[in-house]
Order: sequence, then C-alpha cells, then structure tokens
Amino acid sequence: MSRSSLWLSLVVLALPFTGVTFLIYETVGFNWSELNDEAWRASLAVTLYVTLTSTLLSLMIGTWLARTIYMKRSSWLASLLKWPMFVPHVAAAYLFYLLFSGGFPVYGLFEANERNHLVVILTYVWKEVPFVFLMVVGTYGQLNHGYLDMAKTLQLKPLEQFRVAEWPFLVKPLLDSFWVLVAFISFAYEVPALLGVTFPELLGVLAYERLTTGLFLNAFESYAVALIWTLFIFTGVVASYALTAKQRRRIERGMRR
Amino acid sequence: MHRLKQLGLLVSLVFLAACGTTRAEIAPTFEEAAEEAKQSTVNFYMWGGDDGINRYIDEYVAPRLKETYDLDLNRVPMDTAEFVRQLSLDKRANREEGTIDLMWINGDNFRNAAEAELLQGDLLDKIPNAALLNEEAQATDAGTPTNGLEVAWGNVQFVLHYDADKVNNPPTTFDELHRWTEENPGRFTYPEVTDFTGNAFVRHLLYAEYADTVRDGEIPDAFWEELSTWSPNLWKQGTTYPKSLAQLDQLYASGEVWMTMGFNERRAEAERNAGVFPDGTRALTLEHSIASTHFLAVPFNAKNPNGAIVVINELLSPEAQLAKQDATYWGDGTSLDLTKLDATDRDAFLKLDEGVTYPDPQRLAERSIPDYGPAVIDLIREEWDRVAK
Repeated sequence: MSRSSLWLSLVVLALPFTGVTFLIYETVGFNWSELNDEAWRASLAVTLYVTLTSTLLSLMIGTWLARTIYMKRSSWLASLLKWPMFVPHVAAAYLFYLLFSGGFPVYGLFEANERNHLVVILTYVWKEVPFVFLMVVGTYGQLNHGYLDMAKTLQLKPLEQFRVAEWPFLVKPLLDSFWVLVAFISFAYEVPALLGVTFPELLGVLAYERLTTGLFLNAFESYAVALIWTLFIFTGVVASYALTAKQRRRIERGMRR
Repeated sequence: MHRLKQLGLLVSLVFLAACGTTRAEIAPTFEEAAEEAKQSTVNFYMWGGDDGINRYIDEYVAPRLKETYDLDLNRVPMDTAEFVRQLSLDKRANREEGTIDLMWINGDNFRNAAEAELLQGDLLDKIPNAALLNEEAQATDAGTPTNGLEVAWGNVQFVLHYDADKVNNPPTTFDELHRWTEENPGRFTYPEVTDFTGNAFVRHLLYAEYADTVRDGEIPDAFWEELSTWSPNLWKQGTTYPKSLAQLDQLYASGEVWMTMGFNERRAEAERNAGVFPDGTRALTLEHSIASTHFLAVPFNAKNPNGAIVVINELLSPEAQLAKQDATYWGDGTSLDLTKLDATDRDAFLKLDEGVTYPDPQRLAERSIPDYGPAVIDLIREEWDRVAK
C-alpha cells in the first residue's frame, strides 16, 4: 500500500468521524424530549415504511433479475437494465411526478403526492433495482455451477436448490446493498420532497425544513435526529455483520479453490 | 512525500490567512465608498426563484453599475434562510471576512439576523438615495423595527389572482372564498405554511376572524377548527399542499386550480403576457391585504461593504425603481415616497399603474393592513400541522 493511498484513506475515514463529532458537539445540552412531537413520530413511522418497502422490493426484484439473466445468459438485457442508474434521483423524481400527477391510466391508485407514498416507493424501486442487480450479478458470475448441479442431482425442489446452492453466496452482496439503500433512502430529500405529502413528511424532508425555516432553535432538532439516525444505522450495520460473520467466513473459505 | 508536505503547508497557510483577516470598514462618505469600490465585485445573495427578478438584476442593474461605477455585480441565487444560516455559522466561527456583500432579506429572516447581530448598522446615513424612502415602509419589517440594519427595496401587497374564464362570480371576502371552495371542490389550495406566501394566506384568514386581537398572543383553537373545515374542498382534498408558491403557480398555470396568490399586486402581468398564466387572469382584492416591505442588508463580515453601499444607492435610484416596477421584468412596487420625487419621475410611476391583471390601486391601498409580527408567523408554523393532518 503506497503512502499516498494510506493518507487518502485516513482522510476519507476522518470525514464521518468529524461529522459525528460535529453532531455530538451541536446536540450537547439539547432537550431530547423536544423530539417527542407528533411531526417527528409520524415521520419516523412513514420513513420506516417507505425505506423498508422500497429496499426489500429492490433487493427481491434485483436478485430475481440477476438470476434470470445469469441463467439465460442474455448480456444485452444486462446492459439495458443498467440505464436507470445513470438517471439522477431528482430527474427520476420529476419523471415520475410528470407521469403520476394526473391522467395516467392507473391514476387514483398510483398518484403523486398521496399519503401511501406509492409513487415514492415506485421511484426508488426503479432507481435501485439496477444497483442491486449490479451488486448481485457479479456473485452469480463467480458462482460455482457445481453446487447447483449437485442440488439438481439430489433432486431438490427449486426453492431448496436456491436455498442451498445460491442463497449462502448472496448473503454478503445483499447485506451490503441493504445497508447502502437503507442509509440512502431513509434520509434522502429530493424524491420525497417532490412526490411526498405535507404530513407526514419523511425524515430527510422534515429535518431540512426544521433546519432552514423559522427559528434557529429548531435546527438542533435536525442535528439530534441526524445523530440518532447515524448511530442507529451504524449499530444495525455492526450487528448484522457480526451475526452473519460466521456463515460468511465459512462460505468465503469454501469458495477458495 | 515532498508534495504532501507542500500541500500541508498550503493548507495551513490558507487556514492562517482565514483566521488573521480583519473586518472591512465602510468609508465615511458615499463618494469615498464609490472610489473604494471601483473595479471590485459585489456578491449579491438573493432568492433566485423568479425569472423576472433575476433578469432585472442581470440585464438591467448589473450593466448600469458597470457603466456608472466600474463595479461588477455577481448575483448568487440562494434561499434566504440558508444564507442567513451560513452567516450565523460565520459569526460563531469568528469569520471576519465572509463571502456575502449584500443580501435581500425580510420578515423572520431579518428578525433572526438582527437578533444574532449578523448585520451592519447605520446604513441610511451612508446612502444618499435613502432620503427618498417611504418612511412608513422603512420603519418596520413585519413588526420588527429596522433600526438602520436594512434598507427598504420594494413595497408590495398581497393579492389573489383568478382565471376569469373559469370563475364567473369571484368572491369578495374571505368568507365568500370559503363558500366558493365548497361550490368548486379541488380548485383552490394554498402553499404549506413553511412557505412565505402560504403562511401569509393563513394570516389573512386569521385577520378576517380576529383582526388585531391576536397580535403576539395566542391563536384560539376555534381558528384551527375553522381552518380544518376548508380542507375537504381543497386540491387533493387537503391531504397535501404545494410545497412552495412556485408549485402553486404551476398548478394554476396548468389549470388544475383556478386561483393563485402572492405578495406583489403586479406579479401576474408578465406571466400572463408570456402565456404562462391563463389569458383570463385577473386580480382579486378581498376585504383586506397585508402590505409587505422587502429590504437590502449588508452582513457584518462583508468583504466589500463599500461596493454594497454603492449597489444599494443605485437600486434606490428613481430610474432603477421605475424599471423594477415595470412589468417587463418584475413589477415590484417602489419603496420610495412619490411625494419626495420630482414631477417627471412621479408621473412616470403613476403611468405604470395600468395592467390587465393589476388590482385597482386605490381600492388595494384602502384595504392595506400591517403585518402580524414574527411571533404569529412562528405560531402558525408550529400549529398548522393539525390542519395538514
């Protein structure tokens, strides 16, 4: 490892720590009970709902697509699938806003600015499926076909085949993708700001609003929420990797030839 | 490694330079300020959401400044609350040389900036054209005394606009407007109260019910219950509201709602002429209308305060104010007292009062009411959520 890359890594590592230190510094003396207002409670609930729904749907659809394309070996479909990745989130939000703010065939069920946030979820799924696909398709590329052949020889049912011959290898990329998506979607601004509703607002939108409008006092609420959320995600990441460590190590060793 | 050391040295030098600067001072007279400001750049931070306003600054004001004072004006579009916030961070970090030289501000942003001591004082004595100002407009900013921390730039009133091709019998009072929404469900809405205009609309309804009795006090529960009864007949049954005035204007332009609103009685003219707003757009003056003044201020750590003084003086000149009020660019009301101008200038202003979408100026002036203070604005922001639910 060269010296410059070591320095660069140190700088990159120092940034999140600086961020967290800043948040802690800003929230010293903050009256935490202020967060117990209805806007924040409702925001937490709707954020969890939107984040988990979009993330899980993206993971399932992305994996399914990667698997199908791997099985069928259709490379043109694989390259076609990537293109939503190159559309910025704000452009995607506008696209879906234009599609669903009136007159679309399923208008009523799917509608921009309604409280079930279906169009927000749809936008995220459309944007994140290619990301999951990319994360997973590599794993499929390296998959040892022997496991699948063995599972077939043993005459396991298709679902069982998937569970023993594919799933163990997918844990790592899916876990990575899960946390990337959760961290991103749960505190993003553009998409829910354009497609969401006035009440309840997603965490990112409400935090930005409290940060920039009205009294400066409200800014501390946003800092506090950002701090809690960072710690929450950090804990989640550590816990989930610790819990799956044993299984992942066994698989990584097993894959060595 | 050698490179790295160089970089480290550079970074620490920049850091030291940032710490070591002192505050720039305003010259004692305007002539000296103008001399100092020659060949400098003034960074003008202002809300950039309106094309007409941006064009007025870029196409009209900036070339004039270049020609008369040899000074470059750099317009930086940013939300007001955001740059006030940036300034307050500067203050806390003792940053004596900032990036903002001049800013456009009013209302609770001004109140916040004044409380946090982010602005330079005694501006009026240094600006010759300040003598022409309308003293009443200059005195207070949405209930907060200005104390020479800001200079009035424009003075407008709140009006609604409606599409006369769709609305046959426009309401004349806020009560009638409520009834009109019941008869035309889904055709009216107002921006969220975090938005400047949305909050002002709710203040008008508050004034219609309680007039001056709630100033700086509490808003009775009955008001919120009454306001909730509007919801079922608003756009999307009141389950959501436009996030900003720009979004409401879009809904109005596309014909989804039939009314829009805003400060500045002349704001619809340019939009209608450009074909954005419907041809039938007309002004709607209800029983009262809040008058609002917007201001210019110089931050405590402006790098080029002399340049800022020169720009303010230019923006207050009768010619620049006249061009601002003309519908070509902006259509913003003047902050000058017309009686203090000479006859030719005064006549030029009076001639501008003709536009298809303008309200009757006499009637609008009669119905003008002063704004509630920032306390009421905050209260509405805090308590309106129960209506939005």
